Amino acid sequence: MIGETRESPGGGPMSVAEIERELGKLRANEDGTLALRSSVLNLIVVTDEASAPEVTRSVSNLAGRHPARAIVLISDPEGEWNVDAQLSAFCNVRGGGGAQVCAEQVTIHAEGPPANHLESMAGPLLIPDLPVFLWYPGAFSPHSPEFAAMADLADRVIVDSAAREHRDASLREMAELVGREGAPAVGDLQWVGLSPWRSLLADAFAARERAGELEKIASVEVLYAPGGECRVLLLVGWLASSLGWTPKGMARDGDRRRIGFDGPSGDVEVFLSPDSPDARLRRVRLRSADYSFQISRHREHREVKTTVMRGEDLVAERTVHLGHFDLGVLVGEELQFRGRDEVYEAALRSAVEILDL
Amino acid sequence: MADTQALQNPLRDEQRLPRVPDPGVMVIFGASGDLTSRKLVPALYELASQRRLPLEMAVVGISRTEMSHEEFRQKLRETLEEHVSGGVSDDVWDSFAGGIFYLPGDSKEPETYEELKGFLKKLDAERGTLGNRAFYLSASPSLFPTIVGRLGEAGMNEGEDGGWSRLVVEKPFGRDLESARELNDEIRRHFDEAQIYRIDHYLGKETVQNILALRFANGIFEPIWNQHYVDHVQITVAEDIGVGTRGAFYEEAGALRDIVQNHVMQVLCLTAMEPPVAFDAESLREEKVKVLKAVRPIPEDGVEEYAVRGQYTSGWVWGEEVAGYREEENVGPDSVTETYLALRLFVDNWRWAGVPFFLRAGKRMPKKATEVAIQFHSSPHTPFARDDTEGLEPNVLVVRVQPDEGLSLKIGAKVPGAGFEVSSVNMDLLYGTAFLEEAPDAYQRLLLDLMLGDPTLFIRADEAEGAWRILDPVMRRWAEEKKVEFYPAGAWGPREADELLGRDGREWRRP
Repeated sequence: MIGETRESPGGGPMSVAEIERELGKLRANEDGTLALRSSVLNLIVVTDEASAPEVTRSVSNLAGRHPARAIVLISDPEGEWNVDAQLSAFCNVRGGGGAQVCAEQVTIHAEGPPANHLESMAGPLLIPDLPVFLWYPGAFSPHSPEFAAMADLADRVIVDSAAREHRDASLREMAELVGREGAPAVGDLQWVGLSPWRSLLADAFAARERAGELEKIASVEVLYAPGGECRVLLLVGWLASSLGWTPKGMARDGDRRRIGFDGPSGDVEVFLSPDSPDARLRRVRLRSADYSFQISRHREHREVKTTVMRGEDLVAERTVHLGHFDLGVLVGEELQFRGRDEVYEAALRSAVEILDL
Repeated sequence: MADTQALQNPLRDEQRLPRVPDPGVMVIFGASGDLTSRKLVPALYELASQRRLPLEMAVVGISRTEMSHEEFRQKLRETLEEHVSGGVSDDVWDSFAGGIFYLPGDSKEPETYEELKGFLKKLDAERGTLGNRAFYLSASPSLFPTIVGRLGEAGMNEGEDGGWSRLVVEKPFGRDLESARELNDEIRRHFDEAQIYRIDHYLGKETVQNILALRFANGIFEPIWNQHYVDHVQITVAEDIGVGTRGAFYEEAGALRDIVQNHVMQVLCLTAMEPPVAFDAESLREEKVKVLKAVRPIPEDGVEEYAVRGQYTSGWVWGEEVAGYREEENVGPDSVTETYLALRLFVDNWRWAGVPFFLRAGKRMPKKATEVAIQFHSSPHTPFARDDTEGLEPNVLVVRVQPDEGLSLKIGAKVPGAGFEVSSVNMDLLYGTAFLEEAPDAYQRLLLDLMLGDPTLFIRADEAEGAWRILDPVMRRWAEEKKVEFYPAGAWGPREADELLGRDGREWRRP
């Protein structure tokens, strides 16, 4: 993307009015004209010092498709009392007229007690009349001291359920969060990453003679990278909640798990193998008595192959792009979606039932 | 006719994942032509690559050239890179091309259709295409009635085994009202209107659809979008290019058939229509047809008061000296074909009574520009001294479709300083720039809609006929008169076009 990042020389402690005034100045071009501000949403990001550079990069990548006022809050409750603001604008030239269009970013370092009251800084900086997305790129817990007040500001909360060390606890807390009355709409980057896989699996059963096989699935094998449990449990939770499977038992063999379900036509066995370090999700294979349906990722390219076999016969085969899924793209997908995602919530509940076995 | 199939697939998450069409086959007549390799196959490839097409999708090309499946695939592959934006992956292409087939055959001969029918049945069995077929007429328009008739005779106007059958007709939809009616009647002898998808790629453009979003997603424009507030409307579709190598085609068509009957009339409809009840095929198209019906007929004996026919002579465009139309390749030295057309129309309904709509389309204009300008009445009384308001003009709201998609509103503002001098300033909103992402190609959008069975952005028979009805008197008169007004390349049309507005004290905007 062609563009320039403009930074305010100021920084340090600033009032809301000073911040707005400085942001206005950032939009002034060298020739005296004023670049336009383009924003379709507010994006509040809560992060820490270590992740801030990567997060900031993702936020500026988002400016193209989801021009936003981004408010990046770098929080350190343990530090010395300090609040400090930095301003930047990401400006692009677009169209024959050469008009500049800018998306703004306010970065606030909050250390000490202010870090527990981030809402008092994020709230006044929001652009009125635009939806508010609250993104936690790192480890997230709905029990963190600032979360409830921040969630009140937001129309949608975006988290990464796999960002925490303790992934089981993470999924449980997420399920508890979406189960709360009046809870905000929640998006999970692990779930977004599953979108192409879910789409391809649904495609595999589109043919009339295979639609019925969904009820007869007897086994599922998932091959994935170690550490990918959240995503895989959501995938299995989604299959279970969509196809009416009830979990009844789990056996572990090292890191591998075998989960038993009651399905509409009898037992369903799901094998999870974290044996593929080079791809977060390598292969998903569903089998019925007559068919096997496999979606597998290419070793080097971002391509996936769907293979449908009936016994030994190849019935259908196709290769497509998996799509790019860096952090910015994943978050961008979430920003397109408003409201509660009921399919995700059902998958999440089902994943927690599996964890409870 | 089973046009939708209730295949319950519990894995389809319609809330979150893009809709994927049912399995099916697209059959392209005239497959060795330009459109197939330049637009159709690249659009299908990109859709397939982005997982927007079903796993079981096949494409069958038909034309007279002798080619094997493999040769056809090879031919398409050779030019694919030039026409897709994101580069071509060999694995994805190989997988997509495995579903591309070619049948050499004469589309006039019944045997071709027997062979096709058998071949499609074989594909249903081998590739699970469920008996769904879309027939794309990309052959010469003179063959359309024959192809449609043969498809009907072979029973392919219905899908196999409860599948669907759809017919895509490329423009031109006839050459005039009579031939359009004949073509429509001919097609409807074999296909229901609901199966027919007349394609005008202009409607697949995001920017054109944005006219609808602007008008009907915003409450503030609609109350002033009528004769109480609007003085007149100007619609401009200008190109800076000439006819290039398309001289022979253009001699037959002219600006009226090439641009005005379809694109310009569509923009007129979207600008003037009433709010549709829903954004669905019938609601939207019903409202468009009402606009066309309301357009005051042009009297054949007074055409010159409503229409101007222009042709470019040599001149300068963007620092380059260019030839006149009559000097272009395959153009007659005494040709009177119009490369420019201006129209003055009235939409006689409650909303627009008395508001002239000025439409113009031309080649070799100073720049490429498509826009709709709504010129409002002057304020009824200005409290400021006459001398102080010299720079003040009536408000104009311009919806720019291309190149810099956006809105601009001309408003009066106080010039800083003592006294009360008021002047016009332009307030620009480039909403195109709000989103940097490139919009998908119009064909991608329309082919996907076709496979999904959504004809909202396609042209209904009465729309095509309605547009011809408005233009028919002009064409008849011009056919007799054989006269054309000249404008130098790089000008905004002939002097007569200025007079068309000048007669009642108005003038063309400079886009």
